[in-house]
Amino acid sequence: MSRRGLMLMGQCMPCVKQNASKIRIRRMELDKNLNMYFKKDNFFFAHDPQKVCKTGDVVLIRELPERMTRLITHAVEKVVYPLGDITDPISGKKVVVGKYRDDIEMANELFGKSEKSFDYSKAPPRGRLEGTKDFTHGETYIKYHDDGKDQPFAV
Amino acid sequence: MNKLLNIAQAVPRQFVREYAFKSDLKIKWVRPEKIPCIKPEKSGDLSKLPPLNADDLLLEYKDCKELENADDTVKSLFKLTNNANHLTTRYYRDQMVKEVQRHAQDYGSMESKLANMTAIIRRYQEHMDKHPRDKMIKVRLKELIDKRKKFLKYLRRWDYPRFEWILEKLDLVYKPPPEHFHWITRKESLQKLTDTYCETLKEERLDAYHKELQAQKIPFLEDAIRKMEFIRKEQISCDIPLTVTEEQIEQSKKELAQLIEQREAAAAVTSKKQDEDSFN
Repeated sequence: MSRRGLMLMGQCMPCVKQNASKIRIRRMELDKNLNMYFKKDNFFFAHDPQKVCKTGDVVLIRELPERMTRLITHAVEKVVYPLGDITDPISGKKVVVGKYRDDIEMANELFGKSEKSFDYSKAPPRGRLEGTKDFTHGETYIKYHDDGKDQPFAV
Repeated sequence: MNKLLNIAQAVPRQFVREYAFKSDLKIKWVRPEKIPCIKPEKSGDLSKLPPLNADDLLLEYKDCKELENADDTVKSLFKLTNNANHLTTRYYRDQMVKEVQRHAQDYGSMESKLANMTAIIRRYQEHMDKHPRDKMIKVRLKELIDKRKKFLKYLRRWDYPRFEWILEKLDLVYKPPPEHFHWITRKESLQKLTDTYCETLKEERLDAYHKELQAQKIPFLEDAIRKMEFIRKEQISCDIPLTVTEEQIEQSKKELAQLIEQREAAAAVTSKKQDEDSFN
């Protein structure tokens, strides 16, 4: 293996491996015949024993000086953008699509905020519904066999 | 598989797979029953709409003072149960939106929209149970479910804490769509089942072999120490250059002691567990 310590940025994909995350690096490839760019995905397995990154997060990974296992060649450096929890790098404020969270909150206050409505400060960290209501941490498949057992990821 | 091996062993030439080859493994494939996409199991609705109260009034006349001391027959005219169906749907929609909306005027935010859709979907599902041949409602219901799923996908990407909150609040399940679509066929399913069968078989055999090797470890070490000591003694008595050092023997003994200690600890843990199980 090379000793470059190459850094790559990609998106975390659902992965069954215990201490690794599957990272998708998406690049555009020129098709010379059509003179058009097409998406091309490369998948890397990054060492991640604490499971820092969750499905959908944009993460930085660094190439390991030596291949750890047959598959694991990288290590997770840091989570740049957690999915659906984006911080604006310039102002350091949280963002939802095109608006700051503070602005949305301010508008709600002006209209008279409802008590039952969602409050960011009370929201627990992501992952409490995994396996009960939110099944995005794994890959789903079309159910092909009925063995009487519960298959949570079968669609 | 066995048949295949038998043939391969019996006939010296290379085994050729014939046309319409059938595996004689005892794998039984059960085709999963088709669940219509409008059913709550498929659409992801975990709970149903609350039952309607007998004295619930129409939305517009809920706080009407005139009705409070009106005649019973007049009152019954304004009850939900005595009015058109769509008014009950509207009542449910309003109730559900009020649970999640940001402020009293909010009907356009993502969570309000989702609550609104969920109320309609659950109402339509009730309707479909009663009238399974209503194709118009079926189409509308299907389209609504798909749209709600799309909105949930967007909300997840935009705002994860809110997405989780809304799933809990509306009691929904979100499963991402599978990567590729394919029809379920007997052949492909059997191939997959055979693969998993082979995989488990491999695991089992590897485990058994691992256990066997582990069991051989202690006798092997004991034997090795005895032999090394014997060789050393012989070499000293015959006055030939020594090939076995004291350190090597010591190290083997240490390894043996460690192994025995580990085994005893593991055995103690398992026996404790068994005791607890029997106690329970």
